[in-house]
Amino acid sequence: MRRVWTAGLAACSGLSGSVLANGWNMPVGVTDVSREIHSLHMTIFWICVVIGVVVFGAMFYSLFRYRRSRGAKAANFHEHTTVEVIWTLIPILILVAMAIPATATLKTMYDASEADLDVMVTGQQWRWRYSYLGEDVAFTSNLATSRSQVSGESAKDENYLLEVDEPLVLPVDRKVRLLMTSDDVIHSWWVPDLAVKQDAVPGFVNENWVRINEPGIYRGQCAELCGRDHAFMPVVVRAVEPERFDEWLAERKEAAAQAELGVDREWELDELMERGEQVYGTICASCHQPDGSGSPPAFPALAGNQAMLEDPDYHIDTVVNGVSGSAMPAFRSTLNAVELAAVITYERNAWGNETGEAIQPADIAELLDEQ
Amino acid sequence: MASHLPPRPTAQHSQADAGGMAADEHHHGPRGLKRWLLTTNHKEIGSLYLIFSLSMFFIGGIFAMVVRAELFQPGLQLVQPEFFNQMTTMHGLIMVFGAVMPAFVGLANWMVPLQIGAPDMALPRLNNFSFWLLPVAFALLLSTLVMPGGAPDFGWTFYAPLSTTYAPPSTTFFIFSLHLAGISSILGAINIIATILNLRTPGMRMMDMSLFVWTWLITAFLLIAVMPVLAGVITMMLLDINFGTSFFNAAGGGDPVLFQHLFWFFGHPEVYIMILPAFGIVSVIIPTFARKRLFGYASMVYATASIAILSFLVWAHHMFVVGLPLVAELFFMYSTMLIAVPTGVKVFNWITTLFRGSLTFEPPMLFALAFVVLFTIGGFSGLMLAISPADFQYHDTYFVVAHFHYVLVPGAVFAIMAGVYYWLPKWTGHYPHTRLSQWHFWLSVIGVNLTFFPMHFAGLAGMPRRIPDYALQFADFNMITSIGAFMFGISQLLFVAVVVLCVRGGEKAPAKAWDGAEDLEWTVPSPAPLHTFETPPRFEPDRH
Amino acid sequence: MWRVIKSVLAAFFGVQKESRRHEDFSRGRASHFIIAGILMGLALVLLIALVASLAAR
Repeated sequence: MRRVWTAGLAACSGLSGSVLANGWNMPVGVTDVSREIHSLHMTIFWICVVIGVVVFGAMFYSLFRYRRSRGAKAANFHEHTTVEVIWTLIPILILVAMAIPATATLKTMYDASEADLDVMVTGQQWRWRYSYLGEDVAFTSNLATSRSQVSGESAKDENYLLEVDEPLVLPVDRKVRLLMTSDDVIHSWWVPDLAVKQDAVPGFVNENWVRINEPGIYRGQCAELCGRDHAFMPVVVRAVEPERFDEWLAERKEAAAQAELGVDREWELDELMERGEQVYGTICASCHQPDGSGSPPAFPALAGNQAMLEDPDYHIDTVVNGVSGSAMPAFRSTLNAVELAAVITYERNAWGNETGEAIQPADIAELLDEQ
Repeated sequence: MASHLPPRPTAQHSQADAGGMAADEHHHGPRGLKRWLLTTNHKEIGSLYLIFSLSMFFIGGIFAMVVRAELFQPGLQLVQPEFFNQMTTMHGLIMVFGAVMPAFVGLANWMVPLQIGAPDMALPRLNNFSFWLLPVAFALLLSTLVMPGGAPDFGWTFYAPLSTTYAPPSTTFFIFSLHLAGISSILGAINIIATILNLRTPGMRMMDMSLFVWTWLITAFLLIAVMPVLAGVITMMLLDINFGTSFFNAAGGGDPVLFQHLFWFFGHPEVYIMILPAFGIVSVIIPTFARKRLFGYASMVYATASIAILSFLVWAHHMFVVGLPLVAELFFMYSTMLIAVPTGVKVFNWITTLFRGSLTFEPPMLFALAFVVLFTIGGFSGLMLAISPADFQYHDTYFVVAHFHYVLVPGAVFAIMAGVYYWLPKWTGHYPHTRLSQWHFWLSVIGVNLTFFPMHFAGLAGMPRRIPDYALQFADFNMITSIGAFMFGISQLLFVAVVVLCVRGGEKAPAKAWDGAEDLEWTVPSPAPLHTFETPPRFEPDRH
Repeated sequence: MWRVIKSVLAAFFGVQKESRRHEDFSRGRASHFIIAGILMGLALVLLIALVASLAAR
């Protein structure tokens, strides 16, 4: 509260720039485009302030000067074409002056050509999936804030709701093209410091780009209402020096290759359960609940779900291919064979579901190859 | 005094026609509930509309209070996200379709015939029908709250596919209720156009009409033009949900962005449907209490027409981040900037009307003046939002929420309240309680700014709209906003108190309740008898 | 003809003289204004589209 009042006073006394930039105003950001946008924003803001001072000044002058209680007598004039034409033309000129730099900035923003790196950003209820095109590196990025912080059972961290398990890692000083799409509803990928906000629309691929000037961690959120956990799908970008980025990418490629090897071996039930619980917690629990009770009718219960328990193929098909016309997405491109096998195994053996079956990653991999 | 008043229309009013008749003397129709169910009288239907709108205003307001209570602090305290989304959605739908639009139709029902010297609306039975569709529509909409899966939860803009493939089962009821509300609006608009074009008293030409009548005429044409588009888009949703079509389903070859184009082709003119009659009310009230003719009457009419035309050319400025091609972004940025010009003309004209007037500050004037200032602030943020590159940062944040609440609450709602205070003496025969009205005004003004001004900062700092929980840096802004919202909400009870007290008694008002007022309604007694202008008044257009 | 165009232009611009308006409403025919309004509305759309596509080059 106190901070609000002091900052409010600062704003009233006409201080601008640095004072306002601190949590009150649009961030200046860390890209050339974000700086341009910020300066457009401040320009139009000050134009509005000046117009406001003139207009409200004239208005309040009239309100005080021409009160009947002060004996004001009404004049009788009701039109003046010259004045009217002037005060119509002035706004037009201001707007034209404003449109020119805005057009230039917009053209820069739309020029995603000659990118050094392409990253596909896929919105899913309610997480982001990033894949580095042509690099065989892909992962999902989930909210890392615990549910107990949300419910108030534990204290809230500094980055409450703005922290993820795996941030998007990008190099600084390289032009990165961001391709946005969605697997389910419309999401919007937004990081204020990068001045990138772009809708992720199912069935479309939108383009945007960013060239970050400073290393750092930049946080944002999904900006388009996407259902229940719209508030809980943050975006975190870690911008690193290009050399560090190349190292990181090589490490991730190596790790992906290692994971690929694990597909072929026989997995133990316990091993799958452990991995499955992890996957279930980040992916499935938000709809089907941590205890598998679901929230019918939209999200059926998994605990004691006879149709699912009696027919493993139906269960696998539901998870892999989704249910068209419902909120259940297909996870074939989101999760790898190990994760799919693990989570299906987990669902068939948790919360009193005791089939004792271990679904093998190799079988799932075969299924994925066939389809 | 009268010498420096503008010449006003002299209407011959015969006591035998309209005055001196208490309602029960000549009301031979049914009584009790059936009287209201079957009434074809424009004044009674107008009152029904206004009462309906007021109750919807409170229901929508309660939903807003739930939203603000949850957002008082970070974390989830009171409601779950599913229910929060239902509350934001229902708040928007109820306020737009249930509170603001019916209030303007109610005012039109009451005042358009009185201002043009007509005995009633042109199509009285249609009038009754279009009102009674509304309670049905909104009972249906509210009943979705208790349906399995809950009420619509996809925002008042109901973007597909969240509102189709991923929607709760109650969506079909929502579609039906919106159809009914849409039919009601179209019928109401037809009636208003027919009345204005056909039933003006002999001698009153179009250019003699009050600006309230003018703005409503243009609004009615907008309604007829865009309501069918809304009906079309929700019918496509209905087909997608229930009959397996894929208009908006990408998996079936459909296009989710098409939904937004169609919705906003309706939605943007809809915004002006909610503000043009407000312009009309303010343009009637300001000259009355400035005791000076409206500056630039002609320009006001032309600027209204200009805004109406441009409103069809700007819809995609709601979709700047949806991935439009560059040329489209530029087109909609330029056209949106143009719309600021006629809007500016209106504000300049109101202020020039005040200049060198003889001002007094009765309650209607207070609300009208607050409208001019606060609507202009909403206009400024609108101008900022028009700058497409900057909109990439503003879009879908609380900055947008602040913007449209500034134009709708201290804009449309304050204008409605100004109109109610202005015409209450005509409706009830009593002046509203001055002291209480002033309390209502000042608490509302403070509450509204406390609620919506901090939203600008929250939005610029990065808070997306429609979230039930938020990061810690937005906590201070949200707390202030919530406090302001509770204050604004509670102070509206004063409004009800003023209206109820005014109906029951108070200082008696003469036929011409405000000494600067000059339209025809002030020539009939206060309260206006049930039937007025059965013989058309003589109208001498000596003011032009 | 020219008078109709000028009046419709004034409507687009949002400023009009009382006397001109008086003239429009007493002498003009509604259908002329409506036709002129629609045509000039289309012209306005084309003009903005032209400016936008030139600017987008």
